[in-house]
Amino acid sequence: MTIQVSPGQLAKSKATTQREVYLAALLNQRSEFDRQNLSADLGDWLQDLRDRASVRLQDLAIPSPKDEEWRFTDLSSLLQVSFQAATAALSAEALAGFNAVLPETAESCLVFVNGRYMPSLSSTAGLPQSVTVGNVGQLEEPYAARLRHYLAQQPGSEEVFTTLNTASMTDAAVIWVPKNQVVETPIQLLFISAGETATLSHPRCLVVAEPNSQVTFIEDYVTGDRGYFTNAVTEIWIEENAQVNHTRVQRDRSNAFHIGKTAVSQARHARYIGTTISMGGKVSRHNLEIFQLGEQTETTLNSLTMIAGEQLSDTHSTIAYSSPYGTSRQLHKCIVDDQAHAVFNGKVVVPQAAQLTDAGQLNRNLLISPKARVDAKPQLEIVADNVKCTHGATVGQLDADEVFYLQSRGIDADSARKLLIYAFAFEIIEQVPIASLQQALSQSISPPTS
Amino acid sequence: MTASVRTLVNQPYKYGFITDIESEAIPRGLSEDVIRLISAKKNEPEFMLEFRLRAYRHWLKMTEPTWQRATYPAIDYQNIVYYSAPKQQEKLGSLDEVDPTLLDTFEKLGIPLSEQKRLTNVAVDAIFDSVSVATTFKEKLAEEGVIFCSISEAVQKYPDLIQKYLGSVVPVGDNFYAALNSAVFSDGSFVYIPKNTRCPMELSTYFRINNGDSGQFERTLIVAEEGSSVSYLEGCTAPMFDTNQLHAAVVELVALDNAEIKYSTVQNWFAGDENGKGGIYNFVTKRGLCQGVNSKISWTQVETGSAITWKYPSCVLVGDNSVGEFYSVALTNNRQQADTGTKMVHVGKNTRSTIVSKGISAGRSENSYRGLVKIGPKADGARNYSQCDSMLIGDTAGANTFPYIQVQNNSAKVEHEASTSKIGEDQLFYFAQRGISAEDAVSMMISGFCRDVFNQLPMEFAVEADRLLSLKLEGSVG
Repeated sequence: MTIQVSPGQLAKSKATTQREVYLAALLNQRSEFDRQNLSADLGDWLQDLRDRASVRLQDLAIPSPKDEEWRFTDLSSLLQVSFQAATAALSAEALAGFNAVLPETAESCLVFVNGRYMPSLSSTAGLPQSVTVGNVGQLEEPYAARLRHYLAQQPGSEEVFTTLNTASMTDAAVIWVPKNQVVETPIQLLFISAGETATLSHPRCLVVAEPNSQVTFIEDYVTGDRGYFTNAVTEIWIEENAQVNHTRVQRDRSNAFHIGKTAVSQARHARYIGTTISMGGKVSRHNLEIFQLGEQTETTLNSLTMIAGEQLSDTHSTIAYSSPYGTSRQLHKCIVDDQAHAVFNGKVVVPQAAQLTDAGQLNRNLLISPKARVDAKPQLEIVADNVKCTHGATVGQLDADEVFYLQSRGIDADSARKLLIYAFAFEIIEQVPIASLQQALSQSISPPTS
Repeated sequence: MTASVRTLVNQPYKYGFITDIESEAIPRGLSEDVIRLISAKKNEPEFMLEFRLRAYRHWLKMTEPTWQRATYPAIDYQNIVYYSAPKQQEKLGSLDEVDPTLLDTFEKLGIPLSEQKRLTNVAVDAIFDSVSVATTFKEKLAEEGVIFCSISEAVQKYPDLIQKYLGSVVPVGDNFYAALNSAVFSDGSFVYIPKNTRCPMELSTYFRINNGDSGQFERTLIVAEEGSSVSYLEGCTAPMFDTNQLHAAVVELVALDNAEIKYSTVQNWFAGDENGKGGIYNFVTKRGLCQGVNSKISWTQVETGSAITWKYPSCVLVGDNSVGEFYSVALTNNRQQADTGTKMVHVGKNTRSTIVSKGISAGRSENSYRGLVKIGPKADGARNYSQCDSMLIGDTAGANTFPYIQVQNNSAKVEHEASTSKIGEDQLFYFAQRGISAEDAVSMMISGFCRDVFNQLPMEFAVEADRLLSLKLEGSVG
């Protein structure tokens, strides 16, 4: 199968030299891969992978608004900041402020600080022995040998920020669920960016769900006070009849830069349920790429962007079908306050082979303040004739009639508005499979007091 | 797809004949001299020459757009004849003096120009290659103060109006093809509706390309003064050549306070043969400016022809409470490529727009809807509703939608819906068991699918469009 990458993403143009120089500077900040616990063979392969990505990066540049894929997301403000690779490990006290490990996952979590694995903060005691959850160094055979068939092997890995991540990655979080294993306990992958300077980190996750397995995991990003830059890549492989329930929560501070990618490859009968909550970051971008590679795959995507102030949050999703009988349901909601700016681009590609596809997409945007801005582009590209594809997009404000109705029931206007915003957001938040996280997210939208 | 449906779609193009008429053309190629020559041939005032040269200089600096969903070999702009006109005596006193071959040609196309046969309630401006051949009902329209004539005539007779409005909606440097058109446009129609006048009849322009080497660059300008209203229709056909011809038109509409313009198009340029050989490249810029309060501009288009269609009739809603509408049916078959849609730019308060787009793709064609709904920061209470539906016939045709929604005002309400469907075996079977043949069934389903749009067409043309579509699709379903 082929995935379209706009020429702008790969093309090198002379006018953007500043953007090339900046990208090279970001690459220069990378540190060596931690080879301590790796076999020589695997270490060499990873080194080679990084080197090849670095070479490819020489022909790339930070995208500008002239590239169609980045038309509404201007990265100029990123170019103003010079980031440094995080070096010094942080003390336990410094990390105490990020008490983001969930009670449900106290014994099934991996914590990464500035891209480095923190064994002292992580625990996998609550998980079955047969499941591998850890960093690359903890991988045992035969998984270590099979890593090269999965890591950085998805289509779309050529994209500039993914390439930068591959070239700069120092470690990766790995979840490997063997055949027929159903993991009941949810797993949390917590990525913390902290430290005294504006640092740059490249978190990487690899999830492999072997045939007939099931797993639920949460990918959670938090940052400290400085304007950190997180460039994350998560690769998920769902093999035949396996199921992955994935929640991605990005709650960086509003001065951080966050560029993240989630790429999902689904084999025959595989099911993926993705819930994404993006509320942090000064400039944030989430690229969500679904590759349905076999028949009768099911994809459910629920996402919520909630921003205020001068935040910019961009979600680009692609669902690429390739086989018959695939289904997808996507609901993307944005709540935009103050002068914030939300961008949504949702692409659905149905080639001739993907007959009997059933794809539904809905994008709803709620503008709270007069200066809020939304740019949406739902996009359908269809060649197969026996398919059912729909998409819808709406932009609007809170319905005055609804506010009035609540007021007539004795609820003051302010609470009424809050209640309606809460209800709008809760449709997505209630999809989060973990009660404590659901509660924490609900509280952050200031639920109405009863 | 069954064989019966396949044969149903592949109906020959019946307007593909060539009229053998002596024509006067200038040599191929484009330069400042050519533009001066065109301007001199048309005996234009100085300001028009300047307008053209300004556009030409802009054009030289521009690059051809490549973002559209269409592939075609590079166009050699120096290999096109930019002016071609049927030879005839100087001034025409009446229609009787028009070359009878020309009249026959239009007769064959179903556009009778002669006094006794003409449609009683439609005034027609017939344009053959680059020039206007005849305009009917001029006197009757003049009684109401309505000006309906070729744009060359308007340049001579009403230079003030032309100078004021030409290029006011689509500036000379707007885009590559608009700049090219502004530099070399040869003819087109001009309509002026005075204050508080309801145009007494439908106005219509019929475009015909005849010369195999010429490009057609026509320009249409419609100005509706305060409180006036007009309904305008354009139709187009071309002979079958196995080379590609360029058609780059510009249409500008201006609606002042409380004015209403309805612009309908039935486009049936030659689409090339089933292997994609020949056909017209249709690169058109159409834009309407709702300048006044409560003004309304409505575009209706039925696009069935052209090898490539690149066309986005737009409305710029500046006046408060102004309304923009876009109703479109785009049908592609064989190797046709259509990238069409609209732009609704909301600037004023309480502006409203509606978009209904129906795409039907058959054969190996590619049909894209590309639209923009933009709500500016001052467009309080703006409202948009968009609906784009695609119907695929056969599994080798492509349907794409690229709707851009840009909202910068929280009191706006924007809704967009799209769906894709097909004519299924079970639907055909249902019709068959009621004794309705596959062809009739398809034609019924298509007209049902397109009804929202056809309802917007003037009555005479709705019937025409319905028939045109079923003819085009004959043999494609099954």
